[in-house]
Amino acid sequence: MHEIRLTVNGRVERATVPAATTLLELLRERLHLTGAKEGCGIGECGACTVLLDGAPVTACLVLAVEADGRDVRTIEGEARGGELSDLQKAFIDAGAVQCGFCTPGMILSARALLDRNPNPTDDEIVEAIAGNLCRCTGYEAILQAVRLAAERLRGREASEGRRLPAEGDEANSAMKGGG
Amino acid sequence: MSAELRYVGKPVARDDAIDKVTGAARYTHDLALPGMLHAAVLTSPHASARILKIDTSAAKALPGVRAVLTGDALDYRLGLYLQDKRILAREVVRYQGEPVVAVAADTLDGAREACRLVEVEYEPIEPVLDPRDGLKEGAPLVHPDLGTYAHMEGVFFPKPGTNIAHHQKVRKGDFDAAFASADVTLTAEFYNPPVQHVPMETHATIVQTLPGDRAEIWSSSQSPYTVRHLMSVCLGLPHANLRVHVPYVGGGFGGKAGLHLEPLAYVLSRAAGGRPVKIVATREEEFNTLPSRQGLHSTVEIGTDKDGRIVALKATYVWDAGAYADYGVNVGRAAAYSGAGPYVIPNCWIDSFVVYTNKVFGTAYRGFGHLEVLWGIERAIDRTARKLDMDPVEFRRVNLLREGETTITGEPFTSGHGSPVECLDAVAKAIDWGRPSEPPSEPRKARGKGIAMLHKAPAMPTYTSCAAVIKLDEDGAADVLVSGVDYGQGTYTVLRQVAAEELKLPIDKVHVTWDCDTAFSPYDWQTVASRFAYMGGNAVIEAAADCLRQIRAVAARALDVEADEIVCEDGAAFAKDDPERRIPYPRLALGYTFENGNSIGGPVIGHGRYIATGLTHLDPETGQGLPAQYWTYGAHGVEIEVDTETGEIEVLDIATAIDAGKVLNPKLCVGQVVGGVVQGLGSALWEGFKFDEHGRLLNPAFVDYKIPTAKDVPRRTQQILLENPQPGGPYGARGIAEHPMISVPGAIGNALFDALGIEFTTLPLDAERVLLRVRERGEIG
Amino acid sequence: MLGAFDYVRARSVDEACRLLAESDDAAVLAGGTDLLVEIRNGLRSPRLLVDVKSIDELAVLDADGTERVIGAAVPLNRVAEHRAIRDALPALAESALSIGTYQLRNRATLAGNLCNASPAADSAPVLMTVGARLTVAGPSGTRTVPVSVLFTGVKRTCLAPGEIVTDVRIPAPESGTRTAFLKQQRIRGHDLAVVNVAGSYAPDAGTLRVAVGSCAPTPVLLEPIDASGSVDVVAGRAIELAEAAVSPISDVRASAAYRRAVLPVLLRRLVDRLLNGGRRS
Repeated sequence: MHEIRLTVNGRVERATVPAATTLLELLRERLHLTGAKEGCGIGECGACTVLLDGAPVTACLVLAVEADGRDVRTIEGEARGGELSDLQKAFIDAGAVQCGFCTPGMILSARALLDRNPNPTDDEIVEAIAGNLCRCTGYEAILQAVRLAAERLRGREASEGRRLPAEGDEANSAMKGGG
Repeated sequence: MSAELRYVGKPVARDDAIDKVTGAARYTHDLALPGMLHAAVLTSPHASARILKIDTSAAKALPGVRAVLTGDALDYRLGLYLQDKRILAREVVRYQGEPVVAVAADTLDGAREACRLVEVEYEPIEPVLDPRDGLKEGAPLVHPDLGTYAHMEGVFFPKPGTNIAHHQKVRKGDFDAAFASADVTLTAEFYNPPVQHVPMETHATIVQTLPGDRAEIWSSSQSPYTVRHLMSVCLGLPHANLRVHVPYVGGGFGGKAGLHLEPLAYVLSRAAGGRPVKIVATREEEFNTLPSRQGLHSTVEIGTDKDGRIVALKATYVWDAGAYADYGVNVGRAAAYSGAGPYVIPNCWIDSFVVYTNKVFGTAYRGFGHLEVLWGIERAIDRTARKLDMDPVEFRRVNLLREGETTITGEPFTSGHGSPVECLDAVAKAIDWGRPSEPPSEPRKARGKGIAMLHKAPAMPTYTSCAAVIKLDEDGAADVLVSGVDYGQGTYTVLRQVAAEELKLPIDKVHVTWDCDTAFSPYDWQTVASRFAYMGGNAVIEAAADCLRQIRAVAARALDVEADEIVCEDGAAFAKDDPERRIPYPRLALGYTFENGNSIGGPVIGHGRYIATGLTHLDPETGQGLPAQYWTYGAHGVEIEVDTETGEIEVLDIATAIDAGKVLNPKLCVGQVVGGVVQGLGSALWEGFKFDEHGRLLNPAFVDYKIPTAKDVPRRTQQILLENPQPGGPYGARGIAEHPMISVPGAIGNALFDALGIEFTTLPLDAERVLLRVRERGEIG
Repeated sequence: MLGAFDYVRARSVDEACRLLAESDDAAVLAGGTDLLVEIRNGLRSPRLLVDVKSIDELAVLDADGTERVIGAAVPLNRVAEHRAIRDALPALAESALSIGTYQLRNRATLAGNLCNASPAADSAPVLMTVGARLTVAGPSGTRTVPVSVLFTGVKRTCLAPGEIVTDVRIPAPESGTRTAFLKQQRIRGHDLAVVNVAGSYAPDAGTLRVAVGSCAPTPVLLEPIDASGSVDVVAGRAIELAEAAVSPISDVRASAAYRRAVLPVLLRRLVDRLLNGGRRS
């Protein structure tokens, strides 16, 4: 058994887990954060996508012990203070939600994209979400949603006079090597 | 409806979306009950074998194991239309992947460990893997006892002593004579492999048995009442003893209609002393154990006169049903009455055989046989056109059903059916048919255009019905109760719009209660067949009218006028000659109280229902009859680019036209079309089960069963929604949900001929198939 | 749970080697995207996973110097997005990006892709053609293993029990070297290779190095190819060498016939890109 301590959606959580417990199991069964879903168990479908130190990963292939000392964000942490995020609103407005099972993972992949690149091209959006399978929407409305969220985000930041990262800046520092 | 509609026809956003984007939506995967056990299943490694011995002693001894079951303890029969199935395999296994032993334990790991400790001895039998072999004299019988199975008599006709679960016929006119005297004939064969629905949420169910032979069921299901009914029949229990809940469902596509894991969870719960038991299919089990879409071998013969009028069409459909008949027999039935496409066929002969094989069994899948059938028909139509030297669009235009014609089952075609010709013209225009493609991006690539028609009616019993209840809240808001399921298609939003429109309420005061519960939600047959918006919409309209009747009656007394003088508008009632004296619904929702305290009326609860009308059984010999509540017609036009060196196809543009009757919600409708087209693309280009020579499934995982990702969508898609109203449809709407997938393969196959001059007859049109045919032809290098 | 194993985080290479040596069945855990799937599917059942991601040396990514050093624990996304690698070794970035999904590439590593030793390993062909070498630490010290001799069979390497890869080193290329990578997939979305090929062209030396994957039990590095002549001529040499060196099989992904048909196509496109349009360092 291993004692682990990790931050989940900004809160410190402690757990004692066998080594072979996945992060997905920890989130869903111990912490009751059922937004991340098991779609395949082998990292192919993206339904279990969460952000680990800001980087999207498939939680089914991350051990809970590997997340010790790390920062995890799930869909439950996307809305802040009861207020839906730009992405969440855009998904609703663009009709990008049908059965909803892929939606949490999809939004988090898009979240990480907009965090590292607020002005993505369509190709960049596709690359960011191509690891999230959806059987219902045919993806077009999802692309629309991400474009819409990016537009709104840029519009708001422009009006607030905030500087947007320029192209060519070093890759997001969250992407260090490391477990 | 002369006034402008406020909500119907508008792109109203879903109100379930907020649960889904925040992770609050709970699916059966996410539910847990106190004391719940987890189940695991041991499945057969053989496609066909006798079970000689099962030793569960080590499994039973494992701590935390609460129940271990094998088929010999479970003397129940299951089957929607033909009771050919057991809860667990009994005496024989009939497909690789069939559940043989089930364990319920405190933890999922414990249940899986227990399964690993079970020892089963099998004696393999020669399997039947191809339905055409299954039809041959002397073929091994998948169900030697077929003659003893109860079945829906008069509708399905299993042939004991064979592998034929059902044979459906259409006999109209005299095919042989007409074909013999035709000026131009074509005979061609086609094949669709089995595929899987791939809902993102795999099948899942929780069952808790209760004292007094009762049970409570939570299931990722498209049909709570069917779950209840079939459990009732299987277990011999009154319907009222079984309560079914359906929470959010992560996709269904037909695979979650009917009855799947629920009986197994039931018997495990009972064996475990009434503890709730949860079964969640792994993705591998979803592919290998849960049902698929049947494979199909088709032979199509078409005869025309020299002017291009079809005089005769014969089709033989040999369905690969897999090990159990499930919905397969009904798919086979629908394939017959629908199986000539949307054309005028004066002489028609169709045989549709549903044949058992030792593979995972087929069930309903979006399109219900129509994608598989129209692959062959639309390819054959194109080839016939070319034999006549006619433009394939022109050939279709000449032969499409129009007012005054009849279908192959003798149903008259009227303007109320919508317009196949308009759909054809729309897609032809959308892809600039008649103008050759722009030159391809590289010389090694070739471009082509293709067209295909589609049609489908709901394949449902003649007595299919639906009910809705609307109750008003204290604040005058309305709750709509239905037990059709919204598993992503958005029908609850449409029903909200209809209810708000009819009740004269602002839409934010109208809610559709999300979870279905057979204790509270009124009956609906199943959410399949593209019938829920139509039938549910009609039921909601009637329920709303019932509410308004109650409101008007009470308001009339309150205002001292006649009920027919009361107008309802914007959440209030008033006399038409005195609009200033308004009584808002909150003051009527639970009855009305006069100033002196007297109260009249009571809680406003309206109910409505809809039953299929005018449908008849099909004559068992001729297939003649009226199977269709409504037909929905459509077409696809596609432009593709093929890499002749690798065989890869890219879809440049795909236009889909559907005559929706009335687009109830354009955003949702477009969502269905785009989603259906991409799912159809999967069937067209990449998907298909692969079996080894022993009948073992080789690709039961995403590693080797590829579905479209965001990188695989067409460069452009176009959606053209026509609105020729459907009589009897809510606001003139007809169903559209399955249709966008149906002829995607046909259109692409036709475009591929245009690009390469090669006839493809087998799906999927993957790069390997395309390239090897190109190379076979020899000249490309 | 995925299985029945214990877990330990190694803080140094020595500690990792010691842990591997002391256990009778331990496995190295870097990204885990192959290992954990194999454990889940019952193909492997190690008793101990030794997590190497906290070892500083394994997190090194130094692509600005003459010798490029990519630590064994560096995730593929980091490799693919590193400017110096994109500029100098574009084929390496492309092959890294072709592996799995964006999520997977935040975990999976080059070293892991190599050590998993699938015949279809997408990182192998490029690394073979640029003369990459693995630094391998083990009970008897440290050694260097050229990637070109790493693979000994399907899912087999020449590494001994207890050895771990600490980094991948790529020697400075000759100036003007171009690299290219092509991968035939079944679908545009994430997929394993049906055939993959990589090439490196040093104009001054006048030779091409080409490697072919997914067509034999291991990725195969071809003998150096004379780059003089037209694309057709050079491609012809590559194809002849390749066809003699590979033995494609039919499997669930593709038939041998399809692989044989596509291999020359990819080789020709590869040569074309290298001679005419490859991006230079």
